[in-house]
Amino acid sequence: MTSKRVGLESSLGIAQAVKLANVDVIAAYPITPQTHIVEGLAEMVANGELDAEYIPVESEHSAMSACLGASAVGARTFTATAGQGLILMHEVVTVASALRLPVVMAIANRALSGQLSIWGDHSDVMMARDAGWIHIFVENGQQAFDQTLCAFRIAEHKDVMLPVAVDVDGFHATHVIESFYLLDQKTVNEFLPPYVHPTPLDPDNPVTMGCFAMPNYYFETRKALDMALRNSKKVILETWEKFGALTGRHYLPVEKYKTENCDTLLVTMGSFSENAMMAVDRMQESGKKVGLVRLRLWRPFPTEELVAALSGAKNVIVLDRAISLGGPGPVCSEIKAALYPLEKKPHVVGIIGGLGGRDISPENFIALVELGLEKIKTGHTGEIIMFGVRE
Amino acid sequence: MKNDIIEIRWHGRGGQGAVTSAELTALAAIHEGKYAQAFPSFGPERRGAPVLAFNRIRTDRAVRERSGIIKPDIVVVIDPGLVSLINVTDGLKPGGTLIVNSARSVEDLQQDFSGDWKLAVVDAASIAKKLLGVNIVNTTMLGALIKATEVIDCDSLREPLEERFGARAKSNFEACKQAAENTVISEITPSGDKRPRSFAVEKLPKWNELPVGCVVTDVGNTKAFCTGNWKSQHPEWLDSKCIKCGICSIFCPEGCIKQQKDGFFRADLFYCKGCGICARECWTQAIKMVEEA
Repeated sequence: MTSKRVGLESSLGIAQAVKLANVDVIAAYPITPQTHIVEGLAEMVANGELDAEYIPVESEHSAMSACLGASAVGARTFTATAGQGLILMHEVVTVASALRLPVVMAIANRALSGQLSIWGDHSDVMMARDAGWIHIFVENGQQAFDQTLCAFRIAEHKDVMLPVAVDVDGFHATHVIESFYLLDQKTVNEFLPPYVHPTPLDPDNPVTMGCFAMPNYYFETRKALDMALRNSKKVILETWEKFGALTGRHYLPVEKYKTENCDTLLVTMGSFSENAMMAVDRMQESGKKVGLVRLRLWRPFPTEELVAALSGAKNVIVLDRAISLGGPGPVCSEIKAALYPLEKKPHVVGIIGGLGGRDISPENFIALVELGLEKIKTGHTGEIIMFGVRE
Repeated sequence: MKNDIIEIRWHGRGGQGAVTSAELTALAAIHEGKYAQAFPSFGPERRGAPVLAFNRIRTDRAVRERSGIIKPDIVVVIDPGLVSLINVTDGLKPGGTLIVNSARSVEDLQQDFSGDWKLAVVDAASIAKKLLGVNIVNTTMLGALIKATEVIDCDSLREPLEERFGARAKSNFEACKQAAENTVISEITPSGDKRPRSFAVEKLPKWNELPVGCVVTDVGNTKAFCTGNWKSQHPEWLDSKCIKCGICSIFCPEGCIKQQKDGFFRADLFYCKGCGICARECWTQAIKMVEEA
């Protein structure tokens, strides 16, 4: 399925995907760097291009609340946010998953305040990590477009019924004009069946959602949610397979780049992966056995795939674009935990970098790998290592 | 105390002060130099609904356990109506003590229980109404606990009672002492030849038996919920005084007071929680609240 290549800002590419998904309700509050996504959608609704309710709410908390109500009546629902907006929304973010409402949200990953930063890193997503959502990281505009469409299909699948976040790095991905292959409406309609909630809110057939759970019930409700999230991987894989067959663009929970015969594997998540690929190209050209493993699916955590991708390596260098203040980097600590049961474990070193929009160029990535290997050589893998901070 | 640790479970209804009883017991024990805990069963306590409170007391070292008590040494039942609703002796250790507030005779109560237990009975309601002017028996029942078990001394309660009740501490202390005097101690035997009792057991679903998102589709299922068993008193109408204004029906928070064909009003006792608002609001004082047996 090839279409004409068009130039588009990534944010507007996401808006195009949402339009093609023919959503019923969008409730959002503008916040940089998410703004262009919802502005684009507001414009489409205003000029009649998209037949949907656009609810301009007074806060992100209200945005997610409105999305829950809409999704609960059986409306296909979308929102987008970033940084502090996601934090303000948080109280209701956990309700979406607990009620199993398939809201789709684009998160334009942004650093967290006190020192106000509108720029990108993964701190906001990490604070939403345990909220029961599916999290899919993308690296560029095309992936953001593709994964937004896939997100609706995954979320609303009867065996999933969970909210999905498409995590798009603020500015480095959201604000770049790049080339896209879009899809036509007919193809999208075939790919994305209508959303049917089995027991929607309906005055003629009343139901109760969000009921109270005493200690003798709550634990079972959490296990049910956890199992739903773990089991969603089957539908995620099936959706990506179908999307791949349709478009030729293939996605996996863990994607490898030139990892064959490599001693050292770099692990990245999000938009910096493309820089990391360039670094890998250059390092391999100069004879270094360094490959790249990209984490696309953050939740449910793809333990099995990660172990398969990393277990043969001697050295693993994990980049975290978030800081768990006072603790190890969030991605690195999960990777270490996944590898712990192996008899022959690679050396794992976690590096924190790219916070608050700070670049990591392909050249930087070469230096980052060298720093990681140096730490492994000197046995200093346990310490908190930051790359690119003035010390 | 013969055991290292004494565990007490209090059965009451929301608003009757079972938690206060447990707190005062712990404070008195700590006052005596012992180590003690008091805690409620954390939950959505509503006035009138059956509730639990707990104590742990030991002499040799601090209490470390931090979970509900399922095998108590002592059970105290503050509300007489609970005996027929809840299995109050559930988990009570052999040789343990059951203390009940009831106007019923010891012989009659003995027929309700089968086990190797000590039984202590006191009509705390009469004492409380006489000395405190209200049917709130939480402090009165402390007297029965002291008489039956000696886990604390009566005098140790003075200070905690004063801190809690101020000027009303004296009458509460008197009620407690009176109850200690009036408490009748006897035994329960494990004989099988007892009055049969059965209690509803809730069947709890496994995680994979829950509907997606835990949506409740059988709407109106609270109709089956007998809120009427929360009450410790119920309204009675004196129709000769009733002017059929319907104020009782309007003010009833449960919506369970209905006009009959003859124009007079009655409460549906399956739902009536015995709050007494109808009696309070009735212009002509045609409604009287009557204690449950």
